[in-house]
Amino acid sequence: MPYNIAMVSDNFYPQPGGVESHMYQLSSKLIDRGHKVIIITHAYEGRTGVRYLTNGLKVYHVPFWTIYRETTFPTVFSFFPIFRNIVIREEIEIVHGHASLSNLCNEAILHARTMGLRTAMTDHSLFGFADAGSILTNKLLKFTLSDVDHCICVSHTCKENTVLRASLDPSMVSVIPNAVVAENFRPLSHTEASHRHNAPGPPQRLGPDEIITIVVISRLFYNKGVDLLIASIPRILATNPNVRFLIAGNGPKAIDLEQMIERNVLQEKVLLLGPVRHEEVRDVMVQGHIYLHPSLTEAFGTVIVEAASCGLYVVCTRVGGIPEVLPSHMTEFAAPEEDDIVAVTGRAIVKLREGKVRTDLFHNQVKQMYSWTDVAERTERVYDGISGALSYEEFYPDGGTGLASRGRAGVRSFALIDRLKRYYGCGIWAGKLFCLCAVVDYLLYIFLEIFAPRERIDICKNWPKKVVKEGKGKEKEGDAATAKEEHGSGRKKRPHHRREKREEQGES
Amino acid sequence: MIAVLKRLSSPPPQTLRTLQPTPSTVSYTVSTRPLSRTLPAILAFYIGVAVRILLGASTLVLLWTKWRVSSAKSTGLLSWVFRAAGEESLARFAESLPWKYLAPSALLLLWLVLQRGYKEESLTVLRGLGLQTSTTSSLHLRTPTTRFIPTTSIQDIFIHEAFKGFEVRFYLAVVVKGEDDVVVVFPRMLPRRAVLEDVWRGARACLYEEKGRDKASLKE
Repeated sequence: MPYNIAMVSDNFYPQPGGVESHMYQLSSKLIDRGHKVIIITHAYEGRTGVRYLTNGLKVYHVPFWTIYRETTFPTVFSFFPIFRNIVIREEIEIVHGHASLSNLCNEAILHARTMGLRTAMTDHSLFGFADAGSILTNKLLKFTLSDVDHCICVSHTCKENTVLRASLDPSMVSVIPNAVVAENFRPLSHTEASHRHNAPGPPQRLGPDEIITIVVISRLFYNKGVDLLIASIPRILATNPNVRFLIAGNGPKAIDLEQMIERNVLQEKVLLLGPVRHEEVRDVMVQGHIYLHPSLTEAFGTVIVEAASCGLYVVCTRVGGIPEVLPSHMTEFAAPEEDDIVAVTGRAIVKLREGKVRTDLFHNQVKQMYSWTDVAERTERVYDGISGALSYEEFYPDGGTGLASRGRAGVRSFALIDRLKRYYGCGIWAGKLFCLCAVVDYLLYIFLEIFAPRERIDICKNWPKKVVKEGKGKEKEGDAATAKEEHGSGRKKRPHHRREKREEQGES
Repeated sequence: MIAVLKRLSSPPPQTLRTLQPTPSTVSYTVSTRPLSRTLPAILAFYIGVAVRILLGASTLVLLWTKWRVSSAKSTGLLSWVFRAAGEESLARFAESLPWKYLAPSALLLLWLVLQRGYKEESLTVLRGLGLQTSTTSSLHLRTPTTRFIPTTSIQDIFIHEAFKGFEVRFYLAVVVKGEDDVVVVFPRMLPRRAVLEDVWRGARACLYEEKGRDKASLKE
């Protein structure tokens, strides 16, 4: 059953990152499965208005003021009129928010519930519980999640964290991991012919004098463990002379890293590449043998899957959801401390030199483990569950207990009084504040229904779907004509469209 | 109650008028001017025009009288139209009104009289020549803003969406060679999608004769 889905988040392209690529890949796979997907995000510099991406994925760049790290200013209600307009004109049924820190996502879920739409939310990050910022964020998350239909986390650790932060019933939280497009992360030696049919050859050993390159690709923020990296690089290089470092990415810690290099005179052994684009990540990765990921907190860590897919041996800290991501033969785990990282990196170097690790096989293994099609299928099942297509018992096999006041099978009721009950339980003060917000939101909704009624909003035409496998030439012609009719510049997208189709065929 | 509020807040209804004297010329006009068909509506329209003219003329006469009176010139011209008694009472009336009240209120009245009260925007397509967009000004007596784009510099004409206030609206735009911004057709009215699609189809068929006809047959 095809749905009309709106993905909402502050984070989207052109800004690079994990959430962005997750949203894009998931959306395009859902479109392939016959759904209609649009993305709502805020306007970026040079990226405003309504745009179409490959495959007819429509992106609304809502003009909003951004404050911190590309997050919009939280105004709670100001997003409602335009959000309602978009939802009505696109005939949206399910609103899917991404990233708990994104203000647009939180607001969209509140408004969507007011409008009587199904909502889901994907949480991509882990948070603490102790400091003031976290407490505030957690309250906000609780506000959003106390009335969401279903929640999706990218790893089991992330699920645990989210359940604790927002006091949710664990059964209404699903785990659907990220995935990688394995084709974009091929190792250097990988050729289609040699790896498809032939058995893998003998392991290649690295000589004791051969240079081993350690790659680090990360935004240089505190939470990515740049301080650990800075402390351990000189020690690793001191014990292992034939090692080089290749570091890509930028951020506030880049200066510290440069100072470390200056202080220890390591310019010859540590190469800083600065920021790299996502398409270039693979080209950087294949230059190395080991991928070092010293992150302090990580919900999933797509980048280590990408590294393994490129045939790199992964050394990472045992934090957050990282231990769930890759099987043990691809990784070496370290505690998030300087001594252990040095020791484990040394061990990984020795293992590589002995030829004990078959990094050349990683690519195909990763390819089998992670695919976006699988992620889309699992997300679709969540949509079925929240919209009542799956029965309650089917969707929650162990019987969710916390889903009080549900209407139809497993579906949360939209009645304002039920929503207020859920919000009221959020805390002594917060509960009342949240109730107030919900009531104001509802009044605003009624106001908009009167002064900007639905019949005054035009319904959009859907992007013409490609008809699969019947009369190729004819279909293409008709397709192009309808696309042109949709809007003139649609034609320009056709080559991409076809290219992707070809790639899919190559894959299968 | 809600229906009343909805009606009060609704924008005036827009109508699309198509004028195609020859197959190679077509003009689309989107207007909020109400079409008066019934006799009372027609009567009301003409009475409205008459009242406006009368109001405007009497304001001008009053201003003229005031000017003559205050600069101590003869207002003899008035006795041609009105009789001597009328002239005298008018002059006295004008004298009793101070300039500081008369001038602004007269300007306001003139402005109100000249208000058009409706908006009209049009697109004229001439095959082989180009197209012209036009927007009426909000006052009578002022010429509409027009823009002519020759065929050689039209690159494309398309419908797209954009954010406008708290809404996303469809618009019809013309891409002009050598300009960074597109030219939006019907920029103030922004008619609804159905209207835009009609105009778009007709304009394309008229601009690109052969290709347009192909597409029309494909659509059917």
